[in-house]
Amino acid sequence: MNKKLLNKTLSAYLVYSLLILLIAAPVFYYVTQKLYLKEADETLILHKKEFVQFAAPNMSESDIAHWNRFNRNRKINPVSNLLTDTIYTTTYYDTVEAELEPYRELHAPVTIQGVSYTYTGRINLVETEDLLKSIALLFFTIISILLAGLFFITKKLSQNLWKPFYQTLQQIETIEIDKAKQPGFSNTDIEEFNRLNTSIKKLIENNRVIYKSQKEFIENAAHELQTPLAVFQAKIDTLIQRTDVTLEQSEILDSLNDNVSRLNRLNKNLLLLSKMENDGYSDRETISLTNCIQKNLDFFTEQAKAKSLLIKMDLGEDFYTKSNPVLADVLISNLFLNAIKHNINEGQIIISTNKSSITFSNSGQAQPLNDEHLFNRFSKKNPSKDGTGLGLSIIKKIADINGWKVLYNYANNLHSFTISF
Amino acid sequence: MKLLLIEDEKELALSIQKYLTGKDFVCEWVCSKNDAIDKISIYDYDCILIDLMLPDGNGFEILKELKCQKKTEGIIIISAKESLDTRLEGFNLGADDYLTKPFHLSELLVRIQALIRRKNFKGSNIVSYNEIEIDILSKAVKVNNIKIDVTKKEIDLLLYLIGNENRVLSKSAIAEHLSGDMADMLDNHDFVYAHIKNLKKKLSDAGSGEYIKSVYGLGYKWKNE
Repeated sequence: MNKKLLNKTLSAYLVYSLLILLIAAPVFYYVTQKLYLKEADETLILHKKEFVQFAAPNMSESDIAHWNRFNRNRKINPVSNLLTDTIYTTTYYDTVEAELEPYRELHAPVTIQGVSYTYTGRINLVETEDLLKSIALLFFTIISILLAGLFFITKKLSQNLWKPFYQTLQQIETIEIDKAKQPGFSNTDIEEFNRLNTSIKKLIENNRVIYKSQKEFIENAAHELQTPLAVFQAKIDTLIQRTDVTLEQSEILDSLNDNVSRLNRLNKNLLLLSKMENDGYSDRETISLTNCIQKNLDFFTEQAKAKSLLIKMDLGEDFYTKSNPVLADVLISNLFLNAIKHNINEGQIIISTNKSSITFSNSGQAQPLNDEHLFNRFSKKNPSKDGTGLGLSIIKKIADINGWKVLYNYANNLHSFTISF
Repeated sequence: MKLLLIEDEKELALSIQKYLTGKDFVCEWVCSKNDAIDKISIYDYDCILIDLMLPDGNGFEILKELKCQKKTEGIIIISAKESLDTRLEGFNLGADDYLTKPFHLSELLVRIQALIRRKNFKGSNIVSYNEIEIDILSKAVKVNNIKIDVTKKEIDLLLYLIGNENRVLSKSAIAEHLSGDMADMLDNHDFVYAHIKNLKKKLSDAGSGEYIKSVYGLGYKWKNE
């Protein structure tokens, strides 16, 4: 899936932040705890040293019981099998707090009045754990605020930074090469974007010039062909009047005749397309396409007879649309012609309308047509057929001009073209 | 009848002139606007054929000149231009018909005949050929004074054939004539055969002569034998 540019940057930041947070938190916790235990151990050892240095030399055997009575955290036990100091963490049941609590404990061998005893010192670790938790929480909060801030600042900054880019993008998206509207790129203070805008402007301009000259070329070529075609036609008409034409010659003349007619049709259709592209049919009226169908029905029924086609009509309620009346006629005629031309002998044509669409379905070759190039000029499958190869592009163009859609569908051995409004 | 052809394309002009000359018509030809205006000022014509794009000006200027001189000749514009605006301007300036290039010479001929008929219209509008009589206004055909039942298309075809008497008409020319505005849509001329067959049958059933001849490979011809 495609991501937005901004999201891409932000997600990279987010992943990095989360990673740091995940790694940093346990490390931080571990290090702090280590440091604290070290502190606790030092305190225990200091207390022991104090005891050895100041309390032990003046103690008598009876003092030991007193000592043990008044010191909760520093005891002297008579057992003495220890050789060196040992420190470890353990838990005791605290009668004050009424729960098990963690303690750091030191066992060390001491000598009082020449007798060996075990000195036990301990420190409650509860407060420190709370401290540790508080510190960790603080750390988390600070890091989170920092990251969130960073995230939003980047987002805002990027949005501002990329704004001209998005504006340009929007302009390009709405550009239509055949429309005269110029893209209005706003100036930015970012060199790269200015360069981008200038290049795109140039690109569009160049394309327009090429498109326009191509359009003019087609129109001029079609126009210029009219006169030689007229001469050609007139000469054939004159030639067939001769009485000494042989059978072979008359066959050639007949073929010439057909082809000059075809050339003529081709030329007229090209002119029609050019004119549509030059907005030559921009005036629109309210018309009824059902009327258009009825009007042309006689002519095409006659044409369909040659192939013994059955025309079925399923016209819904009459409705009105906006279109240039000439183009509406051309559209319906081309749909009819298309349905007749690509039909099989004794096939059928079904014309159905409803309020939002007109569909021409016809029998024909038993496989769907290639959707992709269907509406391109001269993309017909069978070039030897009489068609001009422009019918469907004319249909498409008229639909485009009126903002209608043309859909092709193949089902139940019927090729259907639907114009939806 | 006198025709004036104003056309700068020499080859086309020669063909038109040749096709039109003969049957009741004399066709004069000029190839520039100024020559045309000179001719119009001196002579009267039954029909004038004007090409719009001329080397020394626009065909519309000739139409304006004709209007100025209060001439009432029938005028047919023959032009490669095909826009509705050009058509309308032509009609506004007094043209009677508009034919877009390329066209069949046979089509031009029947258009001229129809125009002259309309111009000379005196109460009735009847074309007759031997025992056949066609009333154009009431769309009725009589053979030996007996009315026969024909369709609108068949009358059209009959007028076209008679109008182009002794000339070979190709199937595509007939097809295009019968289709009128829809001619650009045609890619099959088979229906011409059906129409010709029906008309032939109706005429011969009514006792008319066999005037419609098939010309092998080319088309049909109306001929009195």
